[in-house]
Amino acid sequence: MNELMVLAQIAGRRCALHAHDVQSVIELGKVTPVPRTPGFIAGITALRSQALTVIDCRLALGLDTAEWPTDERAAVVHVGGHSYALMIDAIEDITTSLDEPGQITGGFGPEWSRVATGMIETSSGPALLIDLTALISGPGEVAEAA
Amino acid sequence: MDDLLADFVAETREMLEASEGEIIAWEADPSDRARIDTIFRFVHTVKGNCGFFDFPRLAGLSHAAEDALAECRAGRREADSALVSAVLAIIDRIVQMVDAIEAGDDFPEGGDEALIAALQGECEASGETEPAPVIEATRTGVDGDDAKPASPTVQRSIRLPVDLLDRVMSGVSDMVLARNDLGHRLRQAGNQPTIDGPFERLTAILTDVRDAITRMRMQRIETLFAAFPRLVRDLSAELGKQVMVDIEGGDVELDREMVEMVRDPLTHIIRNAIDHGIEAPSDRLKDGKREIGLLSIAARQAGNTISIVVSDDGRGLDEKRIAAKAASTGLISEAQAKEMGREKILQLIFEPGFSTAESVSNVSGRGVGLDVVRDNLEKVGGSIKVSSQPGVGTLFTLQIPLTLSIIAGLTVEVGEQCFAIPQSFVEEIVHSSAKALDFTRVGETALITFRGNRVPCLMLSEVLGLPKGDLAEGDHTMVLLRLASGDVFALAVDRIHNHGDLVVKPLAPAVMKAGVYAGSTLLDDGQPVLLLDVTNIASAYDLVSDARMRVKQAAAEADEKADREAVHAMLFTRFDGRRCAVRLKLVKRIETASADAIDLSGRVPRAVIDNEILPLIGLPEGQLPAAKVRLLRLSDGESELLHAVRDVDDAVDLAGKLKPVSDDPLIEAVTLVEDKTVSLIDAHEIFAQFGESPEAVARPTCRIPDSDWARTILAPLVESAGYEVVETSGEPDGDGSEVVIMLEEEYEAAAALEIPLSDRIIRLRSLPQGAPGEDTIYRYDREALVNALRDARKPSGAAA
Repeated sequence: MNELMVLAQIAGRRCALHAHDVQSVIELGKVTPVPRTPGFIAGITALRSQALTVIDCRLALGLDTAEWPTDERAAVVHVGGHSYALMIDAIEDITTSLDEPGQITGGFGPEWSRVATGMIETSSGPALLIDLTALISGPGEVAEAA
Repeated sequence: MDDLLADFVAETREMLEASEGEIIAWEADPSDRARIDTIFRFVHTVKGNCGFFDFPRLAGLSHAAEDALAECRAGRREADSALVSAVLAIIDRIVQMVDAIEAGDDFPEGGDEALIAALQGECEASGETEPAPVIEATRTGVDGDDAKPASPTVQRSIRLPVDLLDRVMSGVSDMVLARNDLGHRLRQAGNQPTIDGPFERLTAILTDVRDAITRMRMQRIETLFAAFPRLVRDLSAELGKQVMVDIEGGDVELDREMVEMVRDPLTHIIRNAIDHGIEAPSDRLKDGKREIGLLSIAARQAGNTISIVVSDDGRGLDEKRIAAKAASTGLISEAQAKEMGREKILQLIFEPGFSTAESVSNVSGRGVGLDVVRDNLEKVGGSIKVSSQPGVGTLFTLQIPLTLSIIAGLTVEVGEQCFAIPQSFVEEIVHSSAKALDFTRVGETALITFRGNRVPCLMLSEVLGLPKGDLAEGDHTMVLLRLASGDVFALAVDRIHNHGDLVVKPLAPAVMKAGVYAGSTLLDDGQPVLLLDVTNIASAYDLVSDARMRVKQAAAEADEKADREAVHAMLFTRFDGRRCAVRLKLVKRIETASADAIDLSGRVPRAVIDNEILPLIGLPEGQLPAAKVRLLRLSDGESELLHAVRDVDDAVDLAGKLKPVSDDPLIEAVTLVEDKTVSLIDAHEIFAQFGESPEAVARPTCRIPDSDWARTILAPLVESAGYEVVETSGEPDGDGSEVVIMLEEEYEAAAALEIPLSDRIIRLRSLPQGAPGEDTIYRYDREALVNALRDARKPSGAAA
C-alpha cells in the first residue's frame, strides 16, 4: 500500500517493480555475451567494478524479441546477492501504488502469470507487479518461492 | 643481572603469548587436559624463574596456581569454571607484575590474597562472577597511575561490517581500473613530465591502499582452529581413544572466504585421523607407544600459499590394504599395484568411492570420502597430498592459495571474445603449427602429441558453442592444462592475450548453471571477462581419467627426458612488476648506474656507463625510482642498449614452449618458469627501436709524434682505442688530460732540456728489446700499446 513503484514497459506491457529493488537505471554499454547460457541471459556488462548479468526480459518471459524494441537503458536490480541489469522497453515513471497486488479472474496469460505477483493500481493506471526472482530464472522453469 | 631480568621478562611474555590461545580455549572447556598441561607449564616456569630473583609475590601467585592445577592433573580436583576464572585472574596479575618489573615500577600492594583465596575455591558463591571484580580491581590498580604507557602488545582494533569492507574493496578496484584507463591515455598522449610525476605517485599510493585493503579481509586461521580441540575431544571420547591436540600457526592469516572453504576439508581429515589413524589406547601400549595419541595441526605461510599440515602418530596407512582395495574395486589392476611405488599407492585414497574402513561408522567411511575433500580444495586452487609411515603416523599436507578473490590468470581470445584461465592449471603454451605437436583428429576427437604422449585437445570454440573462427585447424594456440589429478589436456584458442592478477567476482546462479565458468573478472580497460572452470570442462568431456590411466601417465612421466632445445635466459623484473627474461647471449654485463649518470631529457633516456653514452629503456615514467638503478647491458655485437630493471633474478633455461604474444611490441613470447609466466623480451624489436653503437663521452685526446709513421700507422690504432688524435704541432692543452705518445729519442731530448711534460706519456722505442729499467714500449707491440692507451684513459691512471 502506497509503496514507491518504478513503472517500466516490458514487451509492450506496463509492469511495476518495487522501487527499493531497483538500485539505478543505467545506460547499457557493451554487453559481453556468455556462451552456453540460456538465451534470456544477454551477457555480462561492467558497472564500475562489478559485473552485472544482463537479462533480456522479453526472452525471460518467453516472448519474441523482434516485436518489442528496447532502448539503451536497463534497470539494475539486486536479487539473491547478485546484481542484474534488466533490459526493458522503456522506463516510464516512478509512482506510488494505490492498493495491494490482486489477482484477476482468468490470470494474465501463462507467461505473465509466471512472473507476476499480481496487478496493482497506480496513479498512472493498472500495472503488473513483477516478481524479480521468477523473472530472472527465465522461462521453462518455475522459480522456487524466494 | 639486568640481562637476566630482561630474559626473564621476555621469556614470561613469550610463553604467555604462546599459551594465550590455550588459555582462552581452556575457558571454553575447563576439563581439557592438554590445556591444563600448557597452563601448568607456564605457571611452573614462572615459579621456577622467580627462584633466581627476589619476587616473593610473583612466586606466591604462580605457586598457588601451580598447586591448584597440579591437583587437577592428578585428578584430585575437578577443573570447573570457577577455577578457570581464578587462574586466569592470576595470570592477568602476573602479566601486570611483569610489566611493572620491566618498567622498574613498584607494583601496588594488596589483592594477591584474594586471588589466591579464589583459587582455593573459597568463593562458594558463583565462582564465575566472584573473581571478576577482583580482576577489575587489579586492573584499575595498575591503570590508576596512568603515567605509564599501555603495554606495547595492545593493538588498536575496530569491528567492521563485512559488506562495508567489500564496498571499500570494490571502490579501490574501481580506482585501479580508472587509473589504468588514465595511464593508457597518458601513454597515447606521450610524455608529459608535469603530469607523469603526480600520476606515478597516485599509482604508488593506490598499490599501497589496495594492498592494505586486501590485508583487511584477512583473518587469523585461529578462528578456524579454535573449534578443533573440542572436536577432537568429543570424537576421541566417543571412539574410546585418547588424543592430545597440538595446534600451531594460528596467527597465519588468510582471506576470510578461504577460511570457510577449508573448514570442511580439515574437519574431515581430523575425523579420519582419529577414526582410522590413532589406535585404541591398549593397542598403542602394545606397540610401545604412549597411550595418548598426538594429533598436530600446523599452518604455515610461504609467499602466496598457505600450507596446513595435519599429522597423527597413529598406525599409518597400509599400502597393501590400499592397493588390494583399489584392485578389488577395479581402480587399478593387480599388475599395476605391484609396479606402483608406495607414494603413488597412498594417493589412491583420494579416488572416488575409496574407503578402507571395514565397517561404516558414523564418523567416517560413509562413502563421502577424501575425493570430495580433494575436489573442494581444487575448486579454490588448492591441493592435497598424503605421506605416511606404517606404524609411525600419517601426514596430510594441504596447500591453499592466500585468497579466493585474486588469482593469477591467463587471458585468451577465441572468436573475438576474451576468456580467462587460472594460471595454476597452465602447464605450457604451444603454437599448434609446431611440428612436435602433430595435431590430428581421430574420429571426432582432436589429439596432439605433448612430450611423447597423445593428449586430447578441446577446441574452446566448440566447448563454448561459438562459431568456428576463420583459423584453420592446426593454426590455433594450444594451452596445455594440467588438472590436479595429473591429467593433461590441450585447449585450442585463437590467441593468447595477456596474463596478470585477476580479481574474481562470483557469477549469477543462472550463469553458473552453464557449468563452464568459475567467475568473472574485469580487464584493465573495464571490460568484463569470464573465468573458465577448467576442472568442470574437463570432466564434462570425460577427460579426468580414472586412476588406472593416471598410473600409466605417471610412469610415462618418470621415463620422460626433457631433451628439448632450451633457451638460456636471464630473468629479471621490470619496473612495472612484469617478470621478464632476455636471452643470455645478449646480456653483456649487469651494471649499476647512479641517478646522476642518467639523462632523461631526450626522447629516449640515456645513461653514461664507462665513459660511453648508451640508450636506456625500461625506466618507470616520471621520477627515478632510486639513487642507483640496476641495468642490464645488452649487446647484439654491434649496437648496445641498457635495460633498467627492478631486480635481476637468475639465469635459467627456458625449457617451456615459447608462445608469441601481441599485447606488447617489446615482448616476443610468454613462457613458464617454475609455474609462473615470464615474458621474453623481443631482442630484434628493442635493438631495431633503441639499439645504438656506443658513443664515447667527449673522447680523450692523444698527441702523437709529428711523423709520417705516426700519422699513417700509429694514428688509426690510437683512434680505435677511443682517442682523438692531435698533432704535436698543435698547442698542448696544458691541463694534463691528454695522453702523449713520444718516441724514446724525443723524450730523452725533452727530458734533457727540462721541458715540462704531461704526466701521461707513452714512450715508444724502435727496437724490440728495451734497455733494462726503461719504461718503454716497442712501437710494433700492438697489445702493449693498446693496453697502455686504455690504462692512460683512466683518470687516475698514470702513464703505463
